[in-house]
Amino acid sequence: MWIQPKELLLPSAFWIAEMHSRYFVLQKRRGHGESRGFGSMLVGTYDSVMNTKPAPYRILHQTPSSEVSYEIAIGITQDEIVKDWEWLKANLFKVLDEMENEDEVTNFTICKIQSLYTQNNQDDTGESADFKVMKSKFRQIFKMPEEERLVNSYSATYVKNKIPRQGQLYISLNHVCFYSYMLGQEIKRIIRFAELEDISRNANTIYLKTTNNMTYNFTMLFNASEAHLLIEQLNKMAIQQLIHDPDSPVVDHDTSNFSRLGSKTSKKPVLLRDLTARQKSEEFRIYFRLPQSEIIDGKIKANIWTPYSKRFNSGFIYLSPNFFCFRSDVKDLVSVVIPMKTIKSVEKKDDGQQRFENQIVIITSENVPFMFAHIVDRDVLIFKITDLLARVHVPLSRERAKYDISWSKQTALMNTFKTQFSAKIIQKQEEKMVRWEAHFRDFGRGIGMFRTTDVINLIVEGIPDKLRQEIWLIFSGAIHDKEMNPGLYEDLVEKAACIKNCFAHDEIDRDLPRSLPEHPAFQSTDGIGALRRVLQAYALRNPQVGYCQAMNIVSSVFLLFCDEENAFWMLASLCENLLPDYYKDKVVGAQIDQGVLNELVETHLPDLHGHLEQLGVIKMISISWFLTIFMSVISYESSLHILDCFFYEGAKIIFMISLQIIEWNRDKLLYCQDDGEAMLVLQNYLEGIYNPEYQVPPTTDKRKMKRKVRTQTVQTLIHESYTKFGEEITQQRIEELRNKHRRLTMRQFDIDNEKTIVKAYVQNPYFSHIELHMLLTIIREEKHALKSLQQQQQKVQCPLSETPQLVSQSPSRPIQDAGTFGGRYEAYNVSYEVFHTLFTELTPWRKCVSVDIGEKLFRLTDKKGTGVLDFGQLINALGLVCSNKNMEKLKLLYVLHLPPLLSKAEIERSRRPRPRTKDDAEEAFEAEDFFDNDASESMEALPSPSDNNFDADDFALINATQHLHNLAGISGNTFMDLSRTPNLSLNSNTSSLAHRSSTFYVDLPGFQGTATSTDAGRDEDELQRELRQQGRYESIDTFSDISDLGAARITPPGAGVGADVAAGAASAAAVDDMLLNVETISNFSQISDLVAATRLERADSNATDLRSLGSLGYLLDQPDEGASNSQHRIPHMRKENFQLLWRSIIEIMGLVQDEEMHRAYENLLELGNSNIKKEPSLESFTQLNMGGDEQPDSNGNPTTPAAEPIGTTRLFVALEEELRQASGKSRTTTTSSGDSSSTNISESWHISISQFIATVLTVNSIVKGFQTPIQISEQIEQLQKKRRKCLSTNY
Amino acid sequence: MSGRKKSLLKVIILGDSSVGKTSLMNQYIWDTAGQERFQSLGVAFYRGADCCVLVYDVTAPNSFKNLDSWRDEFLIQASPRDPEHFPFVVLGNKVDLDNRQVSTRRAQQWCQSKNDIPYYETSAKEGINVEMAFQVIAKNALELEAEAEVINDFPDQITLGSQNNRPGNPDNCQC
Repeated sequence: MWIQPKELLLPSAFWIAEMHSRYFVLQKRRGHGESRGFGSMLVGTYDSVMNTKPAPYRILHQTPSSEVSYEIAIGITQDEIVKDWEWLKANLFKVLDEMENEDEVTNFTICKIQSLYTQNNQDDTGESADFKVMKSKFRQIFKMPEEERLVNSYSATYVKNKIPRQGQLYISLNHVCFYSYMLGQEIKRIIRFAELEDISRNANTIYLKTTNNMTYNFTMLFNASEAHLLIEQLNKMAIQQLIHDPDSPVVDHDTSNFSRLGSKTSKKPVLLRDLTARQKSEEFRIYFRLPQSEIIDGKIKANIWTPYSKRFNSGFIYLSPNFFCFRSDVKDLVSVVIPMKTIKSVEKKDDGQQRFENQIVIITSENVPFMFAHIVDRDVLIFKITDLLARVHVPLSRERAKYDISWSKQTALMNTFKTQFSAKIIQKQEEKMVRWEAHFRDFGRGIGMFRTTDVINLIVEGIPDKLRQEIWLIFSGAIHDKEMNPGLYEDLVEKAACIKNCFAHDEIDRDLPRSLPEHPAFQSTDGIGALRRVLQAYALRNPQVGYCQAMNIVSSVFLLFCDEENAFWMLASLCENLLPDYYKDKVVGAQIDQGVLNELVETHLPDLHGHLEQLGVIKMISISWFLTIFMSVISYESSLHILDCFFYEGAKIIFMISLQIIEWNRDKLLYCQDDGEAMLVLQNYLEGIYNPEYQVPPTTDKRKMKRKVRTQTVQTLIHESYTKFGEEITQQRIEELRNKHRRLTMRQFDIDNEKTIVKAYVQNPYFSHIELHMLLTIIREEKHALKSLQQQQQKVQCPLSETPQLVSQSPSRPIQDAGTFGGRYEAYNVSYEVFHTLFTELTPWRKCVSVDIGEKLFRLTDKKGTGVLDFGQLINALGLVCSNKNMEKLKLLYVLHLPPLLSKAEIERSRRPRPRTKDDAEEAFEAEDFFDNDASESMEALPSPSDNNFDADDFALINATQHLHNLAGISGNTFMDLSRTPNLSLNSNTSSLAHRSSTFYVDLPGFQGTATSTDAGRDEDELQRELRQQGRYESIDTFSDISDLGAARITPPGAGVGADVAAGAASAAAVDDMLLNVETISNFSQISDLVAATRLERADSNATDLRSLGSLGYLLDQPDEGASNSQHRIPHMRKENFQLLWRSIIEIMGLVQDEEMHRAYENLLELGNSNIKKEPSLESFTQLNMGGDEQPDSNGNPTTPAAEPIGTTRLFVALEEELRQASGKSRTTTTSSGDSSSTNISESWHISISQFIATVLTVNSIVKGFQTPIQISEQIEQLQKKRRKCLSTNY
Repeated sequence: MSGRKKSLLKVIILGDSSVGKTSLMNQYIWDTAGQERFQSLGVAFYRGADCCVLVYDVTAPNSFKNLDSWRDEFLIQASPRDPEHFPFVVLGNKVDLDNRQVSTRRAQQWCQSKNDIPYYETSAKEGINVEMAFQVIAKNALELEAEAEVINDFPDQITLGSQNNRPGNPDNCQC
């Protein structure tokens, strides 16, 4: 790429010339490429240490008589630089040759290059050439995908084993990476942000600790603080992403939001600027309680005139698209929020006084003037405001659909259900009103009021009932959301009312009568109805939260003082801004704050902390305190005052009050011996808090009738909290602590989850509990790594719907019966990709290359055809392979080489890895052809799901594609989604799929005949060709699953297209919610599920899974011949399969075949020959199973034999059952007999499992080889090390 | 444990939403929300429990079916010393309602299959059996306490016994 020409004096040091011309030279950096001489090594070290990070190729402009050269182009690859060279050759060489004066040549060249440079960089991302080089190095060194965006890079020293290594620290959106190259020694480190457990900085050293207990120290001469803040921020984003969307824990960043902040002059990389802006913007938004969509657009130093104090106060003006804000330098002295839409005019003002120059006056629609002075860039500010004003969008009430719902908005319930106040209390309220009115006169009223410490003082004393709605709305920021979304509430209420059978609605209805039952308003239908509408509307607005207990309690209090629409928006700002993530799954936000409180107790009440920690009290108290802002523990009339403060102060008030409560009870708590006592102490204290200025509402609740011992007035409680903790506990400090505890809490979830899962699986026959822990860790890590490498196109993070989504069709939470106790296990389900990685990295069978054993094992284990294995299945699959059970392992290997797992086509291909003859080449070419096609194209080539005219083939294709996607772990919701949004991740998946070319061929004996009559008698290849002619069979997606196509047809006996659709839908649903996929019927493995379902209680399925592979021996150890229970016989094997099986054995043995092995092989071949037609009584297993009494029952399931051994291996039964059905169907439904399908296995070469085992067990080396167990813990440690250090795979 | 007698018993009441847990308990027992998303918080409360009361609603068969899961959940999370003999009590609540769906026999059978868990049918609304049930709960919990104390009395003797067999002790090394 062209660069701004740079003068150079020593053009050849460190560089080798590759091409020459009269005025130009193309050079290559030493230390790049193959040459590994000492010189190259030195240059490499120099580059790494000096942080010169030059591109490996460059073009210089030289003139023969001048000492000075000019660097004019650089290239990261040779191709790139050659392209520039060619351009020079074509455009400049001739022109320059014609010039006479060398100065003229140089001037012309430089001018030309400069113009090229500016031209090329105009439409660019604004990244400097240096940064581009850095970016490409980062990708190369750490093998990062294109989507992983580099934020910045810093020169740093990494100290390892006391040896400092100078190198480069790269910070990208999801990783911190370090690279150093010193004297031939290369060091790479990769750390994911999501796995950081601790981040700290001491002077110039950044200290990182991962969840794996790895620690890193990076020392930086410059920018350590910037790097530290960046790491903190990106870690925060990564963890928040985990909370918001655990399925895609990858952070992506949309630059466009922040584009207007980007100043072209800044030297910092664009993304870094964006992230800094984002951080600033967040602080700004939280401080002024602005809606989430507001993004800071700049800040300008200014002084504000405060009429009440008659002086100017210094501070900053902040601008965002919809707001003009001011904040004083002195904390809490004064702040102002003016919505842009209320600004009527902005004027310059100069009164001639030198002291207050550069003034502007802003007048709002209520004719309130705001005066600012000392604005340096006054004209810029005015221009900016005018610009923003021009763009202000005043939302109009939306046109909305009419629903047949009759309801009317409830006004504040306190007006309907009046409390009879005593004269004293009424007088008190009136006194307060007088003071508030006075305050409004001095400081203004409404959103644009001057917010000062005076208002805090008023609030702390309790807002009068009449003003609560107004003040709450302003200070919570709810008013902004409301004004920006007129009509949304009505819309949500009506849509919600149309939803039937919604889980959230059931939960809401259950809680309505027990929300604030003591208040008469909620003993009436008016109150209950309003509460229902508010909660249902919110569940619809924010499906991620839905309905969470505690929301009912706060909402009912809101409803007493606010009309229901306002109550709704207060609830929204509570859930979305004031108490972030509090009501989400696992009430994660509240748990994070519980950690924050714990740390605050440690700091501020150190003498109590140890004791409380030991009792475990903080964990028990905080949830109800936090989630209901004390409303569930302190009497309603008292908690109102806390709520008043809460809207002004935000979450910090909760911490202050909590600390004060604990502090007040210090002595009693210290005396407590167990958690119960401590809870009682606190409970008695909290129940005793009273409010002398408010009427206790009449109650019918017997329990509350009982007079409590009064302990303290709520006024004192609040006052004391401010006095003792108000100064030290700031919003900023809480945010910092939250970052830390967000990490720790998420980590704790993982640990707890792991513990529970390990407890559940500790009885497994293969792994110790330490190994189980390690397995869980590696699964988690690999899942994350896969995600961050795949970089699935991120859904832009906006959980809140401007236009409400109807959630009824797909309830965001599974129904409770199924979801309550199963959820935690799902996090450790592994997709095919993860399984395959684990299989290849951890097990000894990775050595098999001829047959993809990992794939076979996955399919064998994935009985439900869900495309994922649960942890139990994974343990069994990996466990057996790593165990010392040689006989079972051999049997497993035998089964893995049976059809349908090992297909005919696969055998064909493995026989002819490289095409020699023309025919072969053609066939291979066709196969390869599929992979070359772009997946997104192929998606469109598939029939549109909305097309009504498709036939069975189309359905089968859709079904097959869908299934493939499931298997490949692409989480599209439905097939339709996939076809509409072909994205990058699909493409990357295609390539990753391509190498397992044969994966999805399944060759069922007798299969071809089972297809619908049009396909009858064709072999697979013919079918492929035909589909291809129809233009549908063009890519990996469709190619892959011809077998499923067949399988889907044979599965539901007598079922037609309808069943296929059902199957397709079911498998689509499976991705979404595995709990629903019981009836997925799309490929052979599901049949096993059906079989299993008839035999085993669902409740026991876990245990059975555990046993199934483990008890392989039980079944297999039965003598084959003469076994009375033919149901459980493992099929015989054909020659082709056997030959591949043998090859796999040799590969597992390390490609060594001793004489004994060879003899065994010969013996088996001989045995197979002698088996031909020698066993008339024992035909094929399929025929045997055709016996009359073995017909499927009415459901198409086989009848269960009476005497079934305990722990029967479902998978073999299933396998056999499926084969039986396949052949059975072929015999009954088709008249034509396909050429290949009619071949009876007993007429050709075959061996039985017992023959195989018996022979193989005579070979000492095999017995020994298969007996050697593999320590999975060592394998996992190695894999982890490899990942950390970015080492390449050896196999 | 310091050997000091507990002045409080910690009783955990579990069951599906709206089976009547809150109504059953008297005010001295701590109450938290029962939604699924609160479940991970349970651990903090389960610790050191003396008795676990499983409640279902006799008019809601699902709440009965879930007893199994609640019991497992408790045993996994609380990890009591002797899970086989940890005192559970099952309460079939809301017997005052007409539309009963779970028969007494079915509930009793389930309880028998789980090591004979005591079973009572209650109505928190009418106050039927509640007091008696809680007396049994208290009694069973106290028995557990007593057993625990017996165990606590023994450690000394156990240590003595093991000392004799300590392999490193030359006096015993006569083989």
